[in-house]
Amino acid sequence: MLINSVIIVLREVLEAALIVSILLAQGQVLSLPRVYFMLPVMVGAVLAVVYASNIVAVSALMGGVGQEIVNTVLHGLIVICTMVLIGAIKKPQAKLIIIFAGAGCLATAMVRELAEIIIYINGFASVPSLLSSVLAGSFIGAGIGFSIGVFFYYLIVGMRPINGLRLSLVMLGLICAGMVSQAIQFLMQADLIPSNGILWDTSAWVSEHSIIGQLLFALVGYEATPTAIQATGYGLALVLAFILAMQKPRCDDVARPKGVK
Amino acid sequence: MRILLVVALLLSCGRVMAMPSIEIIIRNHLFYPSELTIAADTKVKLIIVNQDASAEEFESYELNREKVIPGHSKGIVFVGPLAPGTYPFFGEFFPKTAQGHIIVK
Repeated sequence: MLINSVIIVLREVLEAALIVSILLAQGQVLSLPRVYFMLPVMVGAVLAVVYASNIVAVSALMGGVGQEIVNTVLHGLIVICTMVLIGAIKKPQAKLIIIFAGAGCLATAMVRELAEIIIYINGFASVPSLLSSVLAGSFIGAGIGFSIGVFFYYLIVGMRPINGLRLSLVMLGLICAGMVSQAIQFLMQADLIPSNGILWDTSAWVSEHSIIGQLLFALVGYEATPTAIQATGYGLALVLAFILAMQKPRCDDVARPKGVK
Repeated sequence: MRILLVVALLLSCGRVMAMPSIEIIIRNHLFYPSELTIAADTKVKLIIVNQDASAEEFESYELNREKVIPGHSKGIVFVGPLAPGTYPFFGEFFPKTAQGHIIVK
């Protein structure tokens, strides 16, 4: 149970930690106050508790597919906020848009990922014999996830500002495309769009069960057996992110490291 | 416009009503039945009833499905149409015991 808890919580924390670390690093590169990013994380945490507390009612909505609808909306919000952020980051006058888009992205990511951790841990309140190992595993998983987030944060802020910004945009674009693929999967699961056959199967090379598969899932939205609609959505999201990111970054901000006048 | 919406709703209802459904029970962190057989190229509605107090996540990498089923509640997952083969599924929260598979013929 300990190992299972580590993997489950790591997977959830990793997705949120990557988004938080990338946006925090972007804020650092662009010299934005950190409070603009910490506040939405806290708001997202509160909303995650509300969502997790009402998961039974949410699941029963719309003929039993309420969970899929809410998850699709959450993924959609992350995608919209991320795309707005990618598009605005090179505009010198768009500081407010960057802050709001980043805040929306952070809060939504926290709701999505933290709610599942709360549901998971809360489920073991009725199984006292397993609770301690679940908590220990969750703690370890969260620690590993945070560590990877910290690694990417310092990787981005440690680079030349222009390169750090580029790397963060590439990572956001890939995460965004993965979110689109996941949202499509939820809609297929709810039978709201056709669930056609799989396009390819790479599970023999990299299984989604494996640690590498889980890491790739969080980093680039890896899916071993995508459908044609998922692959199309993923590709279109990447193209849109690329087009938005192709414009020149905010040279006035990124060329001047923090503390240098 | 209103007529079109009504027709679309009726067609949708008819589609769902005609769809075969299978109930899977989660009890003591086990799936009952743990083996399901469904027809190829057919969409199926899985009604997953969790009789345990703890939550479970119905998950299948092969089916591309994942859904949290809170304790003492039920959830619906649509699968298919699928090609013939065997598609494993498991409970992510209790993966050692909660295992099953769908055989598509």
